[in-house]
Amino acid sequence: MEFDDNYPQYELMSHHTEEEGKKKRRRLWNIFWIMLAITLIELAIGIMAGQMGLLNEIRMSTVTLKLIFVGFTIVKAGYIVMGFMHLGDENRLMKWLILGPYTTFVVYLIYMTSVGEGVYSSRHKMLIDPIIEMQADELRAGGGHGGHEGEEHHEEKGEQKKEEHH
Amino acid sequence: MSSSHEVEVIDPKTVDWGGNSSPLRISYGKMFMWFFLISDALTFSSLLVAYGFMRHKYSEIWPIPGDVYHHFPFLEGMHLPLMYVGLMTFILIMSSVTMVLAVEAGHRNDKRKVMIWMFWTIIGGAAFVGSQAWEWMNFIVGTEHGATREVIENGQWVTKTIHGANMHYNEYGLPVFANFFFFITGFHGFHVFSGVVINCITYSMAWRGVFERRGHYEWIEKVGLYWHFVDLVWVFVFTFFYLL
Repeated sequence: MEFDDNYPQYELMSHHTEEEGKKKRRRLWNIFWIMLAITLIELAIGIMAGQMGLLNEIRMSTVTLKLIFVGFTIVKAGYIVMGFMHLGDENRLMKWLILGPYTTFVVYLIYMTSVGEGVYSSRHKMLIDPIIEMQADELRAGGGHGGHEGEEHHEEKGEQKKEEHH
Repeated sequence: MSSSHEVEVIDPKTVDWGGNSSPLRISYGKMFMWFFLISDALTFSSLLVAYGFMRHKYSEIWPIPGDVYHHFPFLEGMHLPLMYVGLMTFILIMSSVTMVLAVEAGHRNDKRKVMIWMFWTIIGGAAFVGSQAWEWMNFIVGTEHGATREVIENGQWVTKTIHGANMHYNEYGLPVFANFFFFITGFHGFHVFSGVVINCITYSMAWRGVFERRGHYEWIEKVGLYWHFVDLVWVFVFTFFYLL
């Protein structure tokens, strides 16, 4: 099936020569190394924060850490969209057409779920399945599972269970 | 009409919206692939925002992903938090690079290089789907000792030891954590699977010389857009699900 979309102002394929290709490939590999480095940094910080039990608290250092993660992720997303998906090479109208509506909706969505009548307001409690609330109460009563105590907790239980079996 | 002097002549090269021109200077196929990706991106965004909502509502009892995902193939019994997820991320970024190199080779009408890079992209995608299946297996099977929970069995609440997680209960914490895990990574995994199938079709098309007959490799660009989008989503899933 061939479509007749030979409009005058674009080519179906942007051709380039071998020499231009070399330059482009070098740029693509540079993007790859940057993204790999960011991922490794994220992973290292993430593992450390998880082991230190930083993730489940609401305090300044945790919030800062999470904002850093979000920042890293947006940088990586920028490299993928602008570099790999070639949106950086499209014309300005096209860039706005893709990024504008998406950003508007997502910012609105985040605003509606987090600011004002947010996560901790009593109104939202009614919107959440009562079964989840019940399960959460059970977990809270059982001492919870989060943080670094998880490991030792598991091991103790495991030993008990083995004894029961034998 | 031809006698009138008032007829305005529109030169499509200077007037964008005068008709017979393409204001976005992009082909029909690529533009609609972008539109599809926006709608898909909104779906993934709502899933991740919903996850974030629950994750912060039940912040103090939410499982630490590092304690849940610490398995590594061939290294059983070792506690390696998030290492395998890191490897999966590496595999997917790598396959994204091979895809964009295939696109670049297409720009030079280099059939051999297109096929080589498409081959590696397919391998990377398949490796990722396999890894995801392995993660699911570990998450569903769970630990040997399990956890004691109240669960519904035959319409009755009973207290029993459970292992692993499914849509009804979760050894590691709230069942809704497991639900989000299955939904988000499952939806993403299905996208990767579809991508691998589309990549295989593309490989066979390149092999049969379809693009040479057309004179251009634009198809590769469209497939590439989809494949990079899959990688893009994983970057966000990796951060919001595994790190935050």
